Amino acid sequence: MKNYYLNIFKVCENELESLMQTALGAGGDYADLYFENTTYFNLMLKDGTVSSGGFHTDFGVGIRVLKGEKTGYAYSESTEMSDMLAAAKAAAMIAAGQNTTKQYQKVIDKVQDFYPMQLNWREQGADKFVPFLKELEQEVFQKDNTIVKVIARMSDSVSDVMMYNSLGELTYETRPMGSVTVTAVFQRNGATENKTASRSYRIGAELIGRSLIEELAGEVVKGIDARFEAKRPKGGKMSVVMGAGASGILLHEAMGHAFEADFNRKEQSIFSEKMGQRICPEGINIVDDGTVANNRGAGNYDDEGVPGEKTYMVEDGILRSYLHDRISAQWYGVKPTGNGRRENFRYNPIPRMRATYMESGSADPEGIIASVKDGIYVDEFSNGQVKIGEGDFTFFVKSGYLIENGRLTMPVKDINIIGNGPQALSDIVAVGNDMRIDNGTWTCGKEQSVPVSCGIPTILVSSLTVGGE
Amino acid sequence: MIVANEIELARYCIEFAIKSGASAARLSLNKNVMDAYTILNGELDKVSHSADRSIYLYLYVDGRYGTFSTNRLEKKEIEDFISQAVVMVRMLGEDQLRRLPDADRTAKDATTGLELDLCDATYESYSSEERLERAKSMSRFKAYAPTPEYTVLSEECEYAESSDDTLLIDSQGFEGRHRETSFNCFSEITIQDKEGTRYSGYWWEASPSRASLEIENCSAKALSRAAGQIGPQNRRSGRYKMVVDSTVASRLVSPILNALNASAIQQKMSFLEGSSGQKMFSEGLTICDLARTPGKAGSRMYDTEGVATADRTIIDNGTVREYFVSTYMAGKTGFVPTIEDVSRPCLMPFIRGCKLAESKKDVSLKDILAICGNGIYVTGFNGGNCNPVTGDFSFGIEGFAFSKGKITHPVKEMLITGNIMTLWNSLVAAGSDARTSSRWQIPTLAFENVSFSA
Repeated sequence: MKNYYLNIFKVCENELESLMQTALGAGGDYADLYFENTTYFNLMLKDGTVSSGGFHTDFGVGIRVLKGEKTGYAYSESTEMSDMLAAAKAAAMIAAGQNTTKQYQKVIDKVQDFYPMQLNWREQGADKFVPFLKELEQEVFQKDNTIVKVIARMSDSVSDVMMYNSLGELTYETRPMGSVTVTAVFQRNGATENKTASRSYRIGAELIGRSLIEELAGEVVKGIDARFEAKRPKGGKMSVVMGAGASGILLHEAMGHAFEADFNRKEQSIFSEKMGQRICPEGINIVDDGTVANNRGAGNYDDEGVPGEKTYMVEDGILRSYLHDRISAQWYGVKPTGNGRRENFRYNPIPRMRATYMESGSADPEGIIASVKDGIYVDEFSNGQVKIGEGDFTFFVKSGYLIENGRLTMPVKDINIIGNGPQALSDIVAVGNDMRIDNGTWTCGKEQSVPVSCGIPTILVSSLTVGGE
Repeated sequence: MIVANEIELARYCIEFAIKSGASAARLSLNKNVMDAYTILNGELDKVSHSADRSIYLYLYVDGRYGTFSTNRLEKKEIEDFISQAVVMVRMLGEDQLRRLPDADRTAKDATTGLELDLCDATYESYSSEERLERAKSMSRFKAYAPTPEYTVLSEECEYAESSDDTLLIDSQGFEGRHRETSFNCFSEITIQDKEGTRYSGYWWEASPSRASLEIENCSAKALSRAAGQIGPQNRRSGRYKMVVDSTVASRLVSPILNALNASAIQQKMSFLEGSSGQKMFSEGLTICDLARTPGKAGSRMYDTEGVATADRTIIDNGTVREYFVSTYMAGKTGFVPTIEDVSRPCLMPFIRGCKLAESKKDVSLKDILAICGNGIYVTGFNGGNCNPVTGDFSFGIEGFAFSKGKITHPVKEMLITGNIMTLWNSLVAAGSDARTSSRWQIPTLAFENVSFSA
């Protein structure tokens, strides 16, 4: 297998060593090379025809040099030795004139394969996927006769990645990703609504099939009657029941980012001084996990060659771990957690989430709703954001319901919810027994875009601020 | 910059695509170099250097269409890439409306890429050491002594210089060039008040010209924005006048411009369907696309199809004058083709009930706060979204309460909710203070009767 990757990138092991010597030539403590060869493929169906599509190739090597916690980074889109040496020299500049010396630790370990490909995307042709998108479109139209437009998209990528570092660790793997998204536009009595459903996995082309069509078509029409009836609630502070699955965006925004160790190392995070302290009620466990098979956030290795792992950030309500790359792990004197991720070889790795979720509790989800006199139930979201220092987060709710006297009543839509991370975590008063990870096309945009996922059981937050009129 | 043999390679790609079976083709060749430096708490934290070169190919084959890109530009690899691309396009559905724009609509006057004066001739003359020194000069961290109100915990300053060169050619003989340099600085400050509460603030500047980039006060402005948030007070939910700072006002303009795109209208994903020629907004709302202003970031001679830009009025005193219509969307919708997207939108100053043209008066933030009297002054948006179909929006906001035209105190955990059409029909004033560093020239805005939740 090693030769497969060396051949793709047209390098030999001696050249890797030579690059390493150049990268460390100005006194760096640590250096690594990240070779990437990614092929992307995409198709889109609009107005009944798969009339656009294409493929894209991205190839290059990123070279990073660390001096203490300081980073020098450069990349080359060619693996000609002269080009790579020039990039290595540019990255090495960070070490010039710096006196500190830090010892980075070896972390390579035997890893599992969390995303074997049965059918390699690269060996499939567009002729296989065009009929799939048409069948998906037909299935969606058949579900509801008020649909006026269907837009369906599929994309895949396959990345060959080879990493080598100055500790002598050589790792390599091939990472697949397949995504399908369908949007339906509905018109009823002069009103228009749209709804989108998506699935994305680290998996081969075996993803494309009848069961996925049925799953997406069912989801894209689910709840559309309520969407037409939905109104804006009266805004203000209220109890919020967050449905299982996509509500995991709460964890991503309210705490996940603030647990990324670079923000804490720089004292920018509201959680910078809370390690070992209680930040949630007892019984709550919150995880960032790179080992969920076929998950969008899974990683056999992260982008620093550190094996993927399941990291408990919060155990029984106590903050136990930040999410580390090698730099922050070295700074805090802990083992890296496999969270050093990057968008592609053009970027240096930084701490990023993978699959972030809360483990199930013991409460009955229906009982949680029944316990709320006045509040709101939310279960479908689009985007979110957080201010790291203040901990103020928001997420946008596409659909939900009012809760009145323990019952779901009026549908609501298009409202933003705002809260403060530490406060919201401490205000979780019930955790359901129905944890579910949402497998939509979640992408996190902290400086760089990386695929993630999120999940949560049904929970009750006693007070959040809800937008309304 | 793009050199002669790369131009020849681009021309060869077009020829090879036609020879391989394409009926038409367009190609964009882009080169970009960037140097960036991050200074953390006064010390160099990160230095990065990048150099990109890639092609993007648009292929029209047998009434079918596909898009392809690669950064592997060796001739043999390019030939294989194009051959495979042609094969793939033939597998897609037929769509005869996919075609290049009429040749007479493409730009004829973008031959050097320097026509808009967006390229700083001194770019190549600076060494990495000089750039690093400029980055270090941004930091004020060591001068920030604790005050009775707060302590500075962290200062992160980023300085970047980049040069971008794009060649666009097509099989009808169009060749266009666009070159620009960009100089950017960004500072983010985190402080802690005496109660231990953290606040953060940021500031940025950008310019196509090195000499005109204002980096000296970037950190101080970020600190000022962080410190200004100390001691936020809760404000009751209700309807208030809203003043939106020019640094963030484009957030409220983008839903309108998105809704004027013919692609959104054709897919029934626009709340402005059927609005052409209609008075949709309040008198006084005028948005122009000033695409050809020399020296201003965002200006361009042609769009990504090569269609020549022109200065246009998009919304004229509340009446929609233009959709953004690509060649393909013109065929789909029957609209007259224009350009595919906005380049450099400029929202004109306005005060309800006042003839500014006669007074020729600049309209500042201070003026607008005075006009509104009491309300909420929004200096940042925190998340939120706008439904493209209905225009219903909900955004988190941060900012200040103001009374009698004066800022009184910061507010916290507030949201605005409403409909974007209703909001824009409640426009009270628009300033003349758009930030010169922004591509979108959107000034301070004021609206009345906005619903705030807290």
